[in-house]
This record gives sequence, C-alpha cells and structure tokens, in this order.
Amino acid sequence: MERRRDDWTADVPVLMVTACGRCGNHWYLPHEHCPVCGSDEVADVAASGGGLCVAVTRLHVTAEPTDAAAGPVRLALVELDEGPVVMGRAHDDALSPGDRAVVSFRPDGHDGVLVPSFAQAGSA
Amino acid sequence: MTAALTGVGVTSFGRQPGPDSVEWQVEAASLALADAGVDADAVDTLITGYSTVASHLMPANLFAERFGIRPATAFGMSVGGATGLAMLAQAARLVASGTARHVLVVAGEDRASGQTRETSTRTLAQVGHRRYEVPLGGTVPAYYALLASRYLWTYGLEPASLAAFPVQMRAHAARKLGAQFQKEITVEDVLASRPVAEPLRLLDCCPVSDGGAAFVVSAAPTGDRSLEIAGTGQAHRHQHLSAMEPGASGASLAAQRALAEADLSWEAVDVYGIYDSFSITVTMLLEELGLTPPGRAGAYARAGAFEVDGRYPMNTHGGLLSYGHCGVGGGMAHLAEVAMQLRHERGASQVGGAEVGYVHADGGVLSAHVGVVLRRRS
Repeated sequence: MERRRDDWTADVPVLMVTACGRCGNHWYLPHEHCPVCGSDEVADVAASGGGLCVAVTRLHVTAEPTDAAAGPVRLALVELDEGPVVMGRAHDDALSPGDRAVVSFRPDGHDGVLVPSFAQAGSA
Repeated sequence: MTAALTGVGVTSFGRQPGPDSVEWQVEAASLALADAGVDADAVDTLITGYSTVASHLMPANLFAERFGIRPATAFGMSVGGATGLAMLAQAARLVASGTARHVLVVAGEDRASGQTRETSTRTLAQVGHRRYEVPLGGTVPAYYALLASRYLWTYGLEPASLAAFPVQMRAHAARKLGAQFQKEITVEDVLASRPVAEPLRLLDCCPVSDGGAAFVVSAAPTGDRSLEIAGTGQAHRHQHLSAMEPGASGASLAAQRALAEADLSWEAVDVYGIYDSFSITVTMLLEELGLTPPGRAGAYARAGAFEVDGRYPMNTHGGLLSYGHCGVGGGMAHLAEVAMQLRHERGASQVGGAEVGYVHADGGVLSAHVGVVLRRRS
C-alpha cells in the first residue's frame, strides 16, 4: 500500500516529508520503512517549502506534444531545509543552482494538475 | 563462481525497419549460439529481456516457441538498462548451482522503427514516480539533465566537460562494424547540437535503435575462446531520482561486490564497458566507481584515458552513444565487446594483452546496478 498524504498530489498545496522516529532521517517519496535504519516509526511533517536549488533543466523534447507547444518545460531539484531533495517545476527563468528557492503551487502540470513550482527567494 | 561465457552475439544497431522484437532476438540468439558452438536444442534455460515495443506477459515463452526450443526453465527479467547484465548474473548463478548447463540470455527490440518517438519517450518516462515526478512533465533525458546540472554546478564545470564522452564514443564507433553512427564529431559539434534537456544536447544522448544481443552462459567452456565469469555484483538502492542518495547510487557497491567475488581489484582490470546512455551517465558512473577523481572524468576523456591505448580502454565498440541503444540489448553490447577484447579478436581496436574486463550497467535513473568481471582463461 502506498502511503497517501494530504499534499500536492491530493491537491493540497503543501510539500510533505517523512521523518524517521528512530534515526531522524528525512525523506520525500513515500516509504513504509526508513531506508537508512529500517524503522517503521515514521511520521509525515509539512515542509517549510524553502531550500537550496541544486539543479535546473529546460526540457525541449517532452512526452506530451501539447506540453511542448507552450515552450520548454523548466524543472528544478531543490534540497529542502528539512534535508530531502524535491523535484518541481521552475516558473522563474533566473532560478539557478546555488540559489535560495521557495515553492508555490501552480496548475502547470500535465492536464493542469497542481504541482510544486520553485522560484528564487525574494522574487515575485 | 564457476560459470563460462561461451558465446556472445550482437546484431548491427540502427534504424533498420523490418524485423520485429522477437525477430531481432532470433538473429542475436543465432549469432551467440554459433559463437559458442552450442546447438539450440542444448539450451536448457532461457532468460529474455523485455521489449518496450512488444510488451508481453511471457516474453521467454514467446521467444522459445518462435526460435523452436523447449527449455526446462524460461523466464523474463526487467531492471531497465541493467537487465542484460542482471540476466547474465542470474545465468551464472544457475550454472554455478548445477541447475543449468547452457543458459541462453537474449534481448532485442525494434525500438526505433516499431513505435513513434512520442510513445517511446512516454514509455521510458514511466521510470519517474507516478504521483510525484511524472505529473511534472519530465522525461528520462530531463531526469539525467537534472543530474548533469547538479554535477556541473557542484564541480564548477561547463557542459564541454561532458561533451568529451560523445566525442570519444564516436571515435570508437568509427572503427566498429555495425555501429549506428560512425562519422567523427568534435566537442564543438556536441555543443552546437540542439538542446534536448539542458545542459544535455542531442549528441549528449544515445540514439534509439533497432537491434538485439545475446549471450550463452555454460557450466563448462566449449572451447579456447570461452571466458570465465569471475564475479558479478548488484545494488538496488532506489527507483526514483527523488530518492537517490547523491554519490551513493549503488554503482560502487555493485562494482565492489563483483570485484570481491572475483577476488580482484581495479588494478587487475585491462578493459572496461561502462553504461553510457547519456554523457552524464558514464561521467557519474566512472567517478562513483572511483576510476577518476570527482569532477575529473571529462578531463580524463579529453586526455585520451578511454582510448584503446589509454589508461582505461572503454566501450571500444562506441557504446550506447554511438553503437546505439535498442533497450536491453544496448547494455549487452558493452559486455560482448569486452568479451571480444578478452578473446583478442578486435583487430585494429585490440587492447594489448587484455586479460580481465569489467562491465557495468545501470537501469532507470542510476537506480539498478550490475557489475560483471570477465577473465580470459589461462
């Protein structure tokens, strides 16, 4: 059974991470056990939404031709303050690795689904 | 481990319309059995790789019936690009345990001609997380582009450092019959090719190909050309990019397990086959394996370290980047090439005195790793 979380995948505008009650490890994707220590004492916590941008790409060849028509898709990896690395869209052309990034939630996913999207901290 | 690699077979790769997936598998299997000197009806175990074009519940039965063999054991496997070496590792265990005598390992796919580019891109993008990654619109090149972006930023490098690998692979392919692309290219050509997922450009990405590859793994050598499968090792630490531990994808673990089983260290290895789906893939694998210092793989490539006469002769058939990539068979071509090197059959591209080879494949987004150590029998 996949853990269901009240996060952006359920249309709730928040990034959730999971904390291990035994070793303190934090992660993003749902796991039933802590991949570091094996504990099942795990609890979901809402992330602050801020972090360090560590990667960006502008994707010119998309799986869905309708996505490509709107121009390159920008994706980013952001290392959240809580530790885990999260993949999101980037709606800020200037966002680059090394920048402080903040998340917002936008209907930019395929078919207009709500997805996390990052911008430089302090930008509009 | 006592297992012999008695035969290898690789078809030409490229856009070659006509044969379907099973027909590519048949051609590759015929080549490998002829190479091994093993009759088709001596195959008691069959392991087949998946085809993204012709997805089937029972790929091994499908192939066996078409080829006209009736093995005692037959099954399919799928761990992405690592499937070919994972099948070889499983074959080696089956013969070492006495369960099998001759294992035929086969894969082939009309990946270039059998489906549209959109279908191929969409199918492959499913290695992303269904709820947390795929809805963002990413593709496999996008996932690797994110790894490339992080890599270049971490070490303060420019995309030109990655471009050294497509250039080297093309130079190898220019001397290999059957390669998809043979016209030599420069770093400038790579940087001028159209962006696919920045910082990756078209020539940083392997092509999609039609073709097939096969191995025969046997309990005993069938001749002087048979090689010893000295060690295999695997690691499976994550599936999705968002769960990958930077610098510890599992590549090094798999390699160390394979070397430990072979009771060898890197110093003993003469020739390499390292998975190169993208320029960044082979860059990260080489560094995680510890063959080059962090951030230095591209500099090694520019200095000729991966040439036939370099410190680490690698992918002397041209790799996925230039020999081509027909799915599971693509990652098997590296091992077939290393086998030919260890048999001293590579003519002008022969690595002098090659005795030990190491082959590494990864599947997904550096998600599944298999390392194999092959040794020439003395």
